[in-house]
Amino acid sequence: MCYISMNKKIILLFVISLMLVAFIPLLGIVPIHLRSVFTRSQDFFIFWQLRVPRVLLGFISGATLGLSGLICQNLFKNHLATPDILGITTGAGAGAVIAIKLGISFSILGLSGVNLFGFIGALVSVLLVLSIARILKNFSIYSLLMSGVAMSLFFSATIIFFQYIFDFSNTYSILRWLMGGLTVIGYREVILLSILLFFFLIASFLFKRELVLLSVGDEFAISKGLNVKKFRISMFVLISLVVGMSVSVIGPIGFVALVIPHIARIIGRNNYPEMLVSTLLLGGIVLTTADFVSRIIIPPVEIPVGIITSFVGAPFFLVILILDLRNNR
Amino acid sequence: MIDIQSVGFEIDGNKILENINFSIEKNDFWLIFGPNGAGKTTLLRILAGHLPGFLGHVRLDDVNIRKLSSRNLARQVAYLPQEEGIMLPMRVMDILLAGRYPYGSLFKSYDQRDYRMVHEAIEFFELGAFLNRDILTLSGGERKKVFLASAFVQDVSVFLLDEPLNFLDPAASLSVIRMLNQLRKKQKTVVVVSHYLEYFFPHVNKMLAIKEGKMVYAGERIFSAQIFQEVFRVSYGQLNRSGRNVLYLDE
Repeated sequence: MCYISMNKKIILLFVISLMLVAFIPLLGIVPIHLRSVFTRSQDFFIFWQLRVPRVLLGFISGATLGLSGLICQNLFKNHLATPDILGITTGAGAGAVIAIKLGISFSILGLSGVNLFGFIGALVSVLLVLSIARILKNFSIYSLLMSGVAMSLFFSATIIFFQYIFDFSNTYSILRWLMGGLTVIGYREVILLSILLFFFLIASFLFKRELVLLSVGDEFAISKGLNVKKFRISMFVLISLVVGMSVSVIGPIGFVALVIPHIARIIGRNNYPEMLVSTLLLGGIVLTTADFVSRIIIPPVEIPVGIITSFVGAPFFLVILILDLRNNR
Repeated sequence: MIDIQSVGFEIDGNKILENINFSIEKNDFWLIFGPNGAGKTTLLRILAGHLPGFLGHVRLDDVNIRKLSSRNLARQVAYLPQEEGIMLPMRVMDILLAGRYPYGSLFKSYDQRDYRMVHEAIEFFELGAFLNRDILTLSGGERKKVFLASAFVQDVSVFLLDEPLNFLDPAASLSVIRMLNQLRKKQKTVVVVSHYLEYFFPHVNKMLAIKEGKMVYAGERIFSAQIFQEVFRVSYGQLNRSGRNVLYLDE
């Protein structure tokens, strides 16, 4: 018996993704001729070392952020519970800033101190959110949003504190990074985040039954034989790893994790595998497009992509919040 | 089948349940009743294995349920919580398939047997029209049916249901009771916690009355004005209508 029927919208998303990745590197304030892509020239370098990695990084990070949002929503069975709203993203940002300011520059297995501190920052905020929810015995929107707000404020203050106390030498670059950016040279970051996304994706598919169980409810999941506590904790460690690492590379880009799964649920007709694939593709498409817009909207200035996503995402979030509070009264 | 021996439960030194003793035989239909806060839900959750910290012993077919893995227990006992509290949209089909979780593993996808079970449930509970619907768009009665079906899919011998008639209109309530009676015909054991005595009384064969965590009565279903008076402080009357015992509030 086969329950998979082709979802035409997903195929469309896939085609759009391919086209974006293929053509966006050619476009910009200074367009690149197709000819120079294959011959050694200045454009050759710009194309292969700047624009292609940037588009790939955008696509991969967008997909990762979207997926982290989807998984987080299922774990808290609430579609407002995404890493950015829960303060996990800010936590990762604070961790990364601390690492930069303290000049922690070791590296293990290709991971820099900034990557690892991003992970630790994210982990700390996840554990805080979890313990607050446990103390309140309550995973309601209200308590999650409240603790998320508190967490974000606290970690923002941490970031400003470290900015202010330590020397100002790299303040501008940190500020730029905090606004979110996909500016990279070469492929180190692309490879790091691809590997991360690869394992994250495998886990998301392997644990699809558990995630479905939890999104119905804890009692339901337990009565079907799932060890809820153990599963939730291990998934949160994974989420922290993913969010921490990607934030340490691209900065705390907001709203992608929140908005993308919301649309993907509609495209994926609430069918988990379809939702997962839609989230991936849509996340990639949206962040790549937002980055493209950020490059060309006010030439020759490049606007940090985080500003674009927040400009568009914040109103969208408000709409979701209003609809949600109305429906769940 | 299930032996409950001096079972109790405490939270921060407060006795929620105390010295509960009874045994559930195969194919029994139990009604557990008592005032709000009497400990009914706690008792049901202990039997479902959700509260391993209880006092006393519960044996399922002579095996201590504390020794059973949650997966193993889910193959024998299905528990329906009072409220699902669903917030995310979810396909009905996925909720049904979730009932097969205790039989799966990380790398094994659902197989023929799983789908056969799901289809049996779809027929049994008449859910054919709902499979691709979002659970949030269903009515209370339809939702109850879906969750009952998901428990059925677990292929268990014991069903523990907490207030299955909550928020249901009379027609939907009767249809749930009809389903439970059919489960019994399939040699299943059903345990229900409910305030809806008038609905369940004619159908059950055993009853357990609790008050303030203590057992007032456990055993064959009997009409005893004294038990109802003691538990609820209200009077119930009984009528015999064409061979069926009908309970009514006599105030």
